Amino acid sequence: MSKPSPEVYEAGRGMDAHNSVMREIRARNDRTYDPREPTRVWLDEDNTPDGVRESLTIILNTGGCRWARAGGCTMCGYVAESVDGGTVPHDALMTQIEACLDHEREHAEKPAPLIKIYTSGSFLDEREVPAATRREIADTFADRERIVVESLPDFVARERLTDFTDMGLETDVAIGLETATDRVRHDCVNKYFDFEEFVAASGVAGDVGAGIKAYLLLKPAFLTEREAITDMKSSIRRCAEHAHTVSMNPCNVQRHTMVEELYFDSGYRPPWLWSVAETLEDTTEAPAIVVSDPVGHGSDRGPHNCGECNDRVQKAIKDFDLRQDPTVFEQVACECEYTWEEVLRRETSYNQPLAR
Amino acid sequence: MTDFFEVHERDGAARIGELRLAEPIPTPALVDREDVAPPTGAVDGLVHHLLRDAGSLWSTEREDPTGNDASLTILPHRGLPAGTPEEVGEAFATEYPDVDFPSAAVISPDTAADHGTDAYVLSGTPGLVGHARAFVERVIEVREAIPPDTALYLSGVATPVNLGLLVYAGVDLVDPTRAVVKGTQGKYLTSEGESFPSDRTELPCPCPACATPVSEFDRADCVEHNVRALAAEVATVRERVRKGRLRDYLEGQVRHDPWLTAALRCFDGEYAYLEARAPIVRNTEMLATTEDAMRRVEIQRFADRVTSRYRSRFDAPLILVPCSARKPYSDSQSHEQFNDAIRYRGHVVSMTSPIGVVPQELEHTYPAQHYDSAVTGRWSAEEIDFVANVLSGYLERNDYSRAIAHVPPEGYREACERAEAATGLDFEYTVSDHPTTDTSLSALADALDGEPRYRKREREHRTVKAICDYQFGADAGDALFSGFEVESRIPKLRVTVGDEQVATQVAQYGVLALTLAGARRWVESEVPTRTVEIDDFVPRGSVLAPGIVDTDGEIRVGDEVIVRGPEAFGVGRAAMSGREMTESTRGIAVTVRHVEETD
Repeated sequence: MSKPSPEVYEAGRGMDAHNSVMREIRARNDRTYDPREPTRVWLDEDNTPDGVRESLTIILNTGGCRWARAGGCTMCGYVAESVDGGTVPHDALMTQIEACLDHEREHAEKPAPLIKIYTSGSFLDEREVPAATRREIADTFADRERIVVESLPDFVARERLTDFTDMGLETDVAIGLETATDRVRHDCVNKYFDFEEFVAASGVAGDVGAGIKAYLLLKPAFLTEREAITDMKSSIRRCAEHAHTVSMNPCNVQRHTMVEELYFDSGYRPPWLWSVAETLEDTTEAPAIVVSDPVGHGSDRGPHNCGECNDRVQKAIKDFDLRQDPTVFEQVACECEYTWEEVLRRETSYNQPLAR
Repeated sequence: MTDFFEVHERDGAARIGELRLAEPIPTPALVDREDVAPPTGAVDGLVHHLLRDAGSLWSTEREDPTGNDASLTILPHRGLPAGTPEEVGEAFATEYPDVDFPSAAVISPDTAADHGTDAYVLSGTPGLVGHARAFVERVIEVREAIPPDTALYLSGVATPVNLGLLVYAGVDLVDPTRAVVKGTQGKYLTSEGESFPSDRTELPCPCPACATPVSEFDRADCVEHNVRALAAEVATVRERVRKGRLRDYLEGQVRHDPWLTAALRCFDGEYAYLEARAPIVRNTEMLATTEDAMRRVEIQRFADRVTSRYRSRFDAPLILVPCSARKPYSDSQSHEQFNDAIRYRGHVVSMTSPIGVVPQELEHTYPAQHYDSAVTGRWSAEEIDFVANVLSGYLERNDYSRAIAHVPPEGYREACERAEAATGLDFEYTVSDHPTTDTSLSALADALDGEPRYRKREREHRTVKAICDYQFGADAGDALFSGFEVESRIPKLRVTVGDEQVATQVAQYGVLALTLAGARRWVESEVPTRTVEIDDFVPRGSVLAPGIVDTDGEIRVGDEVIVRGPEAFGVGRAAMSGREMTESTRGIAVTVRHVEETD
């Protein structure tokens, strides 16, 4: 028998297989979307380096993620929300922004100081959002305090950031790093940039006074509950050096993804909320704001515990997000921690998942 | 190469094996990782903590592990959860290093292959357990792809209620993981299923954990009980395999859970997998108390051989009689009465559910004298159908001048009428009320009035020929030994040719055991042989798998086989199947009865 094959070879074959499978899975989605409407928009409050702020979050419907068209990440179904066929023109994008402002005027007492724009791809990719559109959007929100835009590290370039910083906006780039471990990012998530590129993007942002908000994924496919926690703790510590905020997303089962294929066949369970709590509690010393907003918590497709304690633990997590105080977790307990502990002890890649 | 596992006994696909570690472990076994402590000290010793998991390659790179003879090392792996697309599984296929300590490779149904390890860990099992069709198909795929003399380990799935089926499928190693996790959820497991202690009035188990009153029974107690219950079930099942009676147990036990019942039935649809592993003979009782018994290999194979290999050599009328509870039938009171009326003027064939039909010459042949069933006289439609089909097939192969059905009016009669309709024959019915009343017995004797009697020697000759057909193939009865004589009496006939003994009828199984002279005649005859070709040595007592060069013919456990090599010629009984003989590196393959040096 030979030694394990070289990393590069393995990564290449793995990527080809992941992409081919994900293309096939995504092709089953036949819904299309109106390019003049944003995917989603909502008001919330967020912890920023300057304190908790009212926020307007916009999911902009752009042409979608270029990487996802090749296949893309194993857990990401957002590409399914993009428009059919390709790019969204400038006018349509601005119509979407206008709709978001209408939403804000209708539901908020005053303009939110924090604007967050996600695209299910890269806002800084000029094939998704043309330079002129980017500048007009920067202009639209010039009177706010802070703006967060989502991007892969490849597109983080000086002049694309100065469009915002020059307006006097505190500017953050939200990067879906998912994990600081390249092997896991490549083989489990199928996302193809390296930690070094994230570090480089952080350097570029730093040079123009912009910040980085890192998004990490708790429990990608193929990792056990314990491996997921271990990987998350080390990822938070490693990327806290290069980001002022780390947002941990517990994986949820999105439609038309490989994770959903595993889930349907009893091969995947979203992480326990106890794992979220354990991670947050353990990484309070990391030099960054660490938050988590478990999407779909309590449902079978989202992060969940036993059914009795989901809302209580979720509430503690949200409380921690705003206050960064680990003692919030001392006040929640449930019998299902016993099960979670045995799962941590006993789950392997060949017997997972051990409990629903 | 399998160095640290050996199969000792087989009961269909189930096996009794041995993990040959520093301290040998009999399998099927309850195993766990070395670095996982027992969930409570109370169950210490019920589980073998011998697995050393070198870890997943999904999360990090791993060095090739160092192992030792006291543990089974699971080599670094990428487990594939259920639902992993085949393409992805193949792209991330793990290559396993060649190691000299006890080792196991993690595989999935898509990636199962010979990796040279002693054991195999099947991944994605939570997606199989509970899904009968998928479970049966995947386990068979895996078992066929890995060497037969390696252990199969299913992690995270065993419970007291499904353990029997796992072992029946060919699983050798399980762990207490699922029982522990269920316990932490407060689910109380027994071989009947699961329940919440709080919903129960009493706990049925006498284990120390269950001595706790129901009202105080907590989740830690539940974990302890579950592990104990699983350990008890492992011992129950292991003993069943040793006795060759796992199927009898399962036919009843699987009824506690629909998916298990469905899986047992799906397995019966996989006849080739089970038949290749089912022994030809067993020296043990066979319980046939459910309708599923009709589909088990032993019964299907008997029916198949009676209708495709066996041929009647009597020119007397056919006399169909009902079976008896006592076996062999001729020892029963009812059959003594029938025989007194028949007085060697007819060929007696017993009708029986679930075996079908048993010609008198084969009444000692497994499983005809070994089965026991629940007799009420009430036959189900399926039983009638089965017996009618076997009888029809039998009648199509054998010509009789007359057919007399001395059978009671219930299921027997209906099966006879169906066979008449299917074959166009007309039976003479001689039972008016019950087969053993004077009226019925006189009617039977009267019906045979004027028919000639055949002699005892003829009956004995025909018995030898019938067994030859059954055991060695159609027409073997005429081709194997020409001009033979018989000595002694049924069921211990000795067969001689000239002054040489060629075979003995084995009373317990009703099959022939050949002498060297008999084996030579088999080789010289046109009857296809089953041959085990060995290396240049003279076997003493048994042939071990590594000494085997090749095999010829379909060999099953219990089959007569020729053993030959450059230095030896012999005959014996197969202890493993032909595939196992060629693919195994360990274990007794043939129990040699007679051998001679040929140099």
